[in-house]
Amino acid sequence: MMKHLGKGLLAGASGVALVVAMASASLANDKLNELSKSNENWIMPGKNYSSQNYSPNTKINTENVKQLRAAWSFSTGLLHGHEGTPLVVNGVMYVHTSFPNNTFALDLNDPGHILWQHKPKQDPAARSVACCDLVNRGLAYWPGDGKVPALIIKTQLDGHLVALNAATGEEFWKVENGDIKVGQTLTQAPYVIKDLALVGSSGAELGVRGHTTAYDVKTGAQVWRVYATGPDNEVGLADDFNSANPHYGQKGLGTGTWEGDAWKIGGGTNWGWYAYDPETNLFHYGSGNPAPWNETMRPGDNKWTMTIWGRDADTGKAKFGYQKTPHDEWDYAGVNVMILSEQTDKAGKKRKLLTHPDRNGIVYTLDRENGDLISANKLDDTVNWVKQVDLKTGLPVRDPEFGTRMDHKGKEICPSAMGYHNQGHDSYDPTKELFFMGINHICMDWEPFMLPYRAGQFFVGATLWMYPGPKGDRQNYLGLGQIKAYNAITGEYKWDKMERFSVWGGTMSTAGNLVFYGTLDGFIKARNSDTGELLWKYKLPSGVIGHPMTYEHKGTQYVAIMYGVGGWPGVGLVFDLQDPTAGLGAVGAFKNLQNYTQMGGGLQVFSLDGKNPYDDVNIGEFEKG
Amino acid sequence: MKRILLPIGAAFVAAGLAISGTAAIAYDGTKCKAAGVCWEAKPGYPEKVAGSKYDPKHDPKELAKQQTALDGQSARNAKRAEHFKKTGKWVYDVSKL
Repeated sequence: MMKHLGKGLLAGASGVALVVAMASASLANDKLNELSKSNENWIMPGKNYSSQNYSPNTKINTENVKQLRAAWSFSTGLLHGHEGTPLVVNGVMYVHTSFPNNTFALDLNDPGHILWQHKPKQDPAARSVACCDLVNRGLAYWPGDGKVPALIIKTQLDGHLVALNAATGEEFWKVENGDIKVGQTLTQAPYVIKDLALVGSSGAELGVRGHTTAYDVKTGAQVWRVYATGPDNEVGLADDFNSANPHYGQKGLGTGTWEGDAWKIGGGTNWGWYAYDPETNLFHYGSGNPAPWNETMRPGDNKWTMTIWGRDADTGKAKFGYQKTPHDEWDYAGVNVMILSEQTDKAGKKRKLLTHPDRNGIVYTLDRENGDLISANKLDDTVNWVKQVDLKTGLPVRDPEFGTRMDHKGKEICPSAMGYHNQGHDSYDPTKELFFMGINHICMDWEPFMLPYRAGQFFVGATLWMYPGPKGDRQNYLGLGQIKAYNAITGEYKWDKMERFSVWGGTMSTAGNLVFYGTLDGFIKARNSDTGELLWKYKLPSGVIGHPMTYEHKGTQYVAIMYGVGGWPGVGLVFDLQDPTAGLGAVGAFKNLQNYTQMGGGLQVFSLDGKNPYDDVNIGEFEKG
Repeated sequence: MKRILLPIGAAFVAAGLAISGTAAIAYDGTKCKAAGVCWEAKPGYPEKVAGSKYDPKHDPKELAKQQTALDGQSARNAKRAEHFKKTGKWVYDVSKL
């Protein structure tokens, strides 16, 4: 009896502990949600769990945007490409950098004073296994719970995930999430859900088998890990996986659609952006390209690379997975941004949606509760590898003329391997129901070659030549980008504009009827989000591959953007490469970029009339303590 | 007969080529053997690459290296987290645990 009572008491106690733990985890979610609603904060790279990159702030608007002036700036001291955007939480800005992945905390009352800095010592060999320059996409914030301090969580190129005390910058924990000796790296911004820090993986160009891992923010302990390829239990498929859309495929395909053990080196890394719906408890992201790029070497559909996932945040188990580009032949890595919205579909039904502009030139919208495909439209009418996506089957109807294979040089394939959209974090204005998308306008020739797999070495197997798409200027290698406003329900583009180079970093929209974005040639621009009219621009010290953000501080709205040319489009410039096929084909396409910008990383902040903390000239002055 | 057969034979060869060529052009990724299994070998290319001229000849030892690395990382991380739970101190160097 006593034993029984004891068991009951224990069970009760553990039940209480579980409830307390869940309540604590929910509290962290609630705190992040609350923080994200304030115009004063930008607590994750996409502003909030919906990843809309949209600010309801109207202080800067179409009427006064011409008055935007430089307010203050910050040099990161590093030259390579700066992707992503800084975070702002409770009056402190957290700035990340390219390799060696330094982190700075700046007091927004006196941003000239660095509150703390974290400068990790990394094995320089990490540089040699980075795919595409030495970029990093940003930071995550966990709000603390009274016992454990608030944390800034970051990735290092050498495969480490590190939690820092947000108040001091001291390392709280540091775990290994990859090994550069076998090509595993990290470039992604981690993502916080409840008390979990989620992180993906990089290195598909070295045959790295992709995975997503959750760590307990309080202890650094691994909670779960799921893979893009392999046996179902390792891919993490829920019992009801794809039950709403069985035609997407269900069980056994993570190995069954590969020859032999090729899934072990099959890629599917994910280094892009996550989104999360607290109501469904599902998070969403895309797995990337299969390895190697040479399709002939890996027969099969290569599941579950190139897949939009809906996974349970607590377990990692997948409720649905939709493979956009089965058996990829062009490196259309499917890791791009997932933006959540609530809209009424054509049948008049209010739905929870997920919109994803993919590398393959299609912008997909799914019901994020069950994976139903709602729309799949071309990002540009020049996309040619696919005729259309069949909404009933979910299958792309390929045009064989633009397929690739050994002993064949494919020509005029659109988009190029860079995709018509890459890692840029785009935005969604819920009042207009418009997505603002930064686009690449680049096509390519593609010739595969055979190569052996050696762990830790590049495993691509294709030579690429890239050049402007049909709407660009092929003689001068300009006209490589676009910006577009898209309605996911009607499939119509409200407006679109050409750009000299790719709009690589993405967009930020505001309730001031504005959309902001940076350009590779070093401008930040603001357009009227209704019409696309160019209203304001400013020349930055270097090209932009990150996305803008905005925050309010002491009643003033600021717009901030990181500059620092590089990334895949900038590899020729930053490494001084000349062979047009180098940089996986980027060098040729962007050979003119050097005539418009040079290297140099930093942050530039703007406000109306340049209002800034140093308008009070006594701020930041020396005072003997 | 011979004169007749030759063209027929040639026609078969031509038809074979045509079928092959048509199949190449017809490959559009929509002919599924099962749900989610829609890949087809392109004409002239093998269903299986093992033993073909496109055999990547994967070395099982090389293929195993990634998972070995991940398992090692997970084991070390587990030791670090366990020590942290007990002591409140994060020690990265597992030789000091």
